[in-house]
Amino acid sequence: MILNKIFKNTLLLLAACLVLSACATKKEVATEAIKGQMQGDVYTGTDSVEYLADGVPDRVFFATNESILTTASRETLRAQAAWLRKNSSINVVLEGHADERGTREYNLALGERRANSAKDYLMTYGISSDRISVLSYGKERPVDSGSNPLAWSKNRRSVTVKAN
Amino acid sequence: MNRSLIISSVLHGALIMITAMSLPFLAKKPLDIPPIVSVELIQIAEKTNIPFAPKAKKIIEKKKKKKLKEKEKKLVSEQAPPKKEKKLISGEAPPKKVKKTQSKTVVSFDQKKEKIKNQNPEAVPLPDKKVKKIETKKETKQNPVKTVKKIETIKKKKANQSPKKADNKVKQVSEFEKKDLFDPSNIAALIDKSKVDDAEKIKKDDKITQSQDKSVLTGKLTINEEQALQAQIFTCWSIPLGLPFNPDDMLVRIKLSLKPDGAIEDMEMLDHIKMNTPGKERFRTLADSVRRAIQLCNPLNVPTTGYERWKKIIFNFNATDMLGG
Amino acid sequence: MIKNYLIFIILITLPFKVFAIIEVDITRGNLDPLPLAVSPLSIDDKSKKEFQKILKKENIGSEISIIVENNLKTSGLFDPLSKDAFLQAPDIANLKPRFEDWNLIKAQALITGKVSLVDKKLRVEFRLWDVLAAKEMMALAFTTVPNNWRRVGHIISDKVYERLTGEKGYFDTRIIYVAEEGPKTQRIKKLAIMDQDGFNNKFLTLGNELVLTPRFNPTSQMVTYLSYFRNLPRVYLLDIETGTQEVVGDFPGMTFAPRFSPDGKKIIMSFAKDGRSDIYTMDLENRIVEKITNHPSIDTSPSYSPDGKYIAFNSDRSGYQQIYVMNSDGSDVKRISFGNGLYGTPVWSPRGDLIAFTKLHKGKFYIGVMRTDGSGERLLTENYYQEAPSWSPNGRVLIFYRETKTNAKGEGFSAKLWSIDLTGYNERLVSTSTDASDPSWSSLLSN
Repeated sequence: MILNKIFKNTLLLLAACLVLSACATKKEVATEAIKGQMQGDVYTGTDSVEYLADGVPDRVFFATNESILTTASRETLRAQAAWLRKNSSINVVLEGHADERGTREYNLALGERRANSAKDYLMTYGISSDRISVLSYGKERPVDSGSNPLAWSKNRRSVTVKAN
Repeated sequence: MNRSLIISSVLHGALIMITAMSLPFLAKKPLDIPPIVSVELIQIAEKTNIPFAPKAKKIIEKKKKKKLKEKEKKLVSEQAPPKKEKKLISGEAPPKKVKKTQSKTVVSFDQKKEKIKNQNPEAVPLPDKKVKKIETKKETKQNPVKTVKKIETIKKKKANQSPKKADNKVKQVSEFEKKDLFDPSNIAALIDKSKVDDAEKIKKDDKITQSQDKSVLTGKLTINEEQALQAQIFTCWSIPLGLPFNPDDMLVRIKLSLKPDGAIEDMEMLDHIKMNTPGKERFRTLADSVRRAIQLCNPLNVPTTGYERWKKIIFNFNATDMLGG
Repeated sequence: MIKNYLIFIILITLPFKVFAIIEVDITRGNLDPLPLAVSPLSIDDKSKKEFQKILKKENIGSEISIIVENNLKTSGLFDPLSKDAFLQAPDIANLKPRFEDWNLIKAQALITGKVSLVDKKLRVEFRLWDVLAAKEMMALAFTTVPNNWRRVGHIISDKVYERLTGEKGYFDTRIIYVAEEGPKTQRIKKLAIMDQDGFNNKFLTLGNELVLTPRFNPTSQMVTYLSYFRNLPRVYLLDIETGTQEVVGDFPGMTFAPRFSPDGKKIIMSFAKDGRSDIYTMDLENRIVEKITNHPSIDTSPSYSPDGKYIAFNSDRSGYQQIYVMNSDGSDVKRISFGNGLYGTPVWSPRGDLIAFTKLHKGKFYIGVMRTDGSGERLLTENYYQEAPSWSPNGRVLIFYRETKTNAKGEGFSAKLWSIDLTGYNERLVSTSTDASDPSWSSLLSN
């Protein structure tokens, strides 16, 4: 009798687990589309990216509240450094941005910190700090006006802009 | 003549000796019981009211067992005789939660009722439209349909009732509200004790307390009487919410002289000097709100008996709980 | 003999009994707003016609009373009764109110008054009556230029508020804010100033450059803000009366998050360089710049305590954005926010007892208050996005801005000003002609 009860209970539990896992997998499928353009919460797509020259993307992306460069970002910046070395007359402004999920003043500082980590990397590849200036817009100039994780990931960026 | 003088002086001397040497002995004498009874009754009443009860109980336990027993008996007698209190005890029976919600809704519609009541009976030519407007407003304010219905029925009733009856209702309802303040376990304990106690003795004490109620000399309100008054004034007192919390200026004491029907004959702010002190404007604001509350509540829901007890009464308005923290 | 004895006993015990007057403790009350009646200010026909000419207002008396009514209502502490129910005409009410009439409509206080034109000036008398006590609580008169009529309404509101709540009012005040227009990705932002109730709106910049975070000085004559003039984000100082602007200090990089010290002599702000932001002050008289914090983290949003002894700011030195308090010279830095989530924009209350802040937790933004040691945290309002609280001068109300979530297409963005009082129940939209953000509340203008 008791055994029977236990058996029943386990069956019920199993069924519940199945139902729940079904839910979970469904969600995963739904976010898969976004995942294609994001790694962790760093944007990896090419939607808003412009090119300084052939094969030289103008921007790098960051994780939430972070200013650490990802592997992809470093690759982009190395390409920019090479391009800057080739065109020694060009100066650049690094524009740092944050997403809308932070207070305005902190985001201004965060944008500055992001642009600076890009600047530091360019400098380690031999670009003089005289040629690079830094400007933070905080959350003031998003590229994507959406209110969703994908839009925010596109907005957490440092963009290299020709200054002359 | 001489004889009586001597006897008298000897007796007086003996009396002085007795009082000087053995007051406790006097206290044990039956003649002295009434005053002690009255004092202790009030203490218990307050203790059941206040969450410090356990502490107070310990202190009592330290006293003689005899005294303790007496107290219990008196307490029981205090709980038992008035009809309203019986209701109260029976009202305690249902589970806590149910009771609470009931009492709350009752009180809230009662407040509304009071407002409406005050609007209608006055025979001033107020255009119909306005009255309706106000009433509908109040009804829409109330979310549950039930309470709205209640208001309507009360309105109908109220039309037939004399204002005094309405007042009685207010009293009863306020007693319901009071139950929120009670610790039910406490009351349960009291009921248990009443069962244990000797019925005869209850009756005895009963007589004493009742006679005291009428007596000029006793000077306190019962729990129910006090809480009926409190509940009435709670609804009248609009606390000035903007007032910053300052622990020194949160207490306003007001002394009232009342007529037998509860109408206010005279009022006196006990801190009126402070009221007009420069820099104490915030205290004045609080005092003003107290005065308005008293005027709004005039006439007060006074007990039906023992006018001499509450002819003069002091209210201590303390906004600490409402504005503090 | 026994009789004598009895009388003796009674005489001994009697005084104790008589002395014991019953005392009843009242520790609770209702929190309903106080019902009061604002009678239209009475006005004689001649003055009425003159004012119609000067101000283009049909009846200046009732206009002023409407201002008072609205102010008192938005405070959440008063319930101005509908004028339809008033039984007494304004002119008679001002002379001698028939208190029974006002009592009948449940008004506990009554405001009456009289407007007239004296020597081309607007003269207003007003009285505050205690209806229940049937007596006058206050009577005042003002004379001013007719164009100031709205301020008269605000001053009356402040006086009534102060008399009835025991606390200074906040109605004769202004709000400086950033007016916003255009798409989210290309917002045009201008400095704007308006009365606390949204009237008399004026733009202070043209919108050619991005401007952010304006803040009043203690006298409300000067504003410090962040401008991207020539794409160089720097802290600026603007004199509202003269319109002159100047850069604050000579920093080789972005300065931002400016605020005045309580004496108005210094500006405190952040300076960002090489990925770190530190807090600096600049003395406006001798231009001396002082570095207050020195930490590789982001230190920003500084705000002085009203006595100038302490500075609250937010920093991510712990890894995440949290609120810290330090002495005004930068010593003794203490973290005070320890709840779950991120904390920013600390603003010290004018009363000095509380710090308002923005909190981000689990994807929601909250405006809240805590004591200056970080205890007693209380969240007042929750939303998709809101931040930047600014205190009313009496420390009872906070104004902040709120942004809406956009839809799937990225549409539907808006930014609006909101106010909420310390109870957390009285939340109101502050109407502005355009979208708005970064509000800063002035001090009382009439003091």
